Amino acid sequence: MSTIEKIIEQIDALRPIPKVAHKVLAIVEDPKSSASDLAEVVIYDQSLTANVLRLCNSPYYGLPRKVDSIQQAIAYMGMAKIAEMVLMKLGGDYLRAEHKGYDLREGDLWTHAVSSALIAREICEIKKAPNPHLIFTAALLKDIGKVILHTYVGEMFEEIFNLVEKEKITFREAEEKVIGIDHAELGARVAEKWQFSAKMVHIIRNHHLNGSWSEDDVETAIVYVADTICMMMGLGIGCDGLAYRFHTQVIQALDINDRDLQEIMANFAQKFHEVEHLVGME
Amino acid sequence: MNIIIGVSDMKVSNDVQASLITYSLGSCIGVAIYDPVVRVGGLLHFMLPDSTLDKAKAEKNPFMFADTGIPALFKATYKLGAEKKRMRVVVVGGAQVLDQKGFFNIGKRNYMAVRKIFWKNKVMIDYEDVGGNLNRTVRMDIHNGDIWVKVSGQEYKKV
Repeated sequence: MSTIEKIIEQIDALRPIPKVAHKVLAIVEDPKSSASDLAEVVIYDQSLTANVLRLCNSPYYGLPRKVDSIQQAIAYMGMAKIAEMVLMKLGGDYLRAEHKGYDLREGDLWTHAVSSALIAREICEIKKAPNPHLIFTAALLKDIGKVILHTYVGEMFEEIFNLVEKEKITFREAEEKVIGIDHAELGARVAEKWQFSAKMVHIIRNHHLNGSWSEDDVETAIVYVADTICMMMGLGIGCDGLAYRFHTQVIQALDINDRDLQEIMANFAQKFHEVEHLVGME
Repeated sequence: MNIIIGVSDMKVSNDVQASLITYSLGSCIGVAIYDPVVRVGGLLHFMLPDSTLDKAKAEKNPFMFADTGIPALFKATYKLGAEKKRMRVVVVGGAQVLDQKGFFNIGKRNYMAVRKIFWKNKVMIDYEDVGGNLNRTVRMDIHNGDIWVKVSGQEYKKV
């Protein structure tokens, strides 16, 4: 069996993301849906419900009273926030562990994912972007391929690293050359297997903007910019470091200048305790 | 005991049992200073070059910016008896994404800001490991002032 066949086989071995993820995403993206639609799908999963309630009741949010049902939680926090918490709980189960091949300690990849998702959300708000929940989820799951690829990156790190240094190519390109598949492509295949939408698969596959990018693809651009900001801020990054490309034209197409970029960084650094709070979520 | 310094954060110590450590610098810069006579060290992890971006944020957290963070770092070590003339100064980080140019190159601008502040204040940099696309971690052992840099994917190296 070739290395790629072995890697692809591991996609099947990965426990599929619970269906509630798709349902929640569909509900919050549908303007006709209501709070009770959301509550109805979440309460079927008891441990998920308990997790979301515990998070809402933590001192961090300072709610005026303790919430003890999903319905109340939605009333206090809003549908979008509860949906995000559900998606983060589900994503965290895959991303929280240590991923040695990328030199990521326990919690690092998860910190990176949550930070990317929150920065993407902020850019969506500033730019009034369509499909903010899709963008949030894509930013959260974009590195899911690393969960599988890290053992191979660990084995072939020296070769990958030397190629990056010598040829000035990105870490992703070097993964593709050395291993035969890169973490973005692998992540897209995981998303496909998990039956996410074609758009979600597209964003995950192209989150480093490796393919061609068209100006109307705002969703991918936002996930890309959020990822780039996290790299610059060093949020949960590993041995691939900052070895990815900076596409000035994409950032300018979103009408973000260098001052905006710094402001997003400064705002996020101030709110970083929210990430620490969310990442600490059991 | 490890004392962790986060993003836009700074800690000083004279506890000989302690190590100051800051993970994953990215484009941010870690400035480590140590006075061997009083065995006082400090480590700053700043993120952006210039506090004129947002004065209110700089007031709330001076460690976010080079121009407010570096003076605050030195002053905090002076309070523990350190003196500028005896200080060993190490600068680490300031990495950049490939093809990141001009105003968008925050890593390079962070480094230029450090150089400018040190030049104005007549501070010599004893060792620096900056630029490239590398993710770096810095650790300082307070008992002897040893400073260790770890490029992600590699082992700690004493500098």
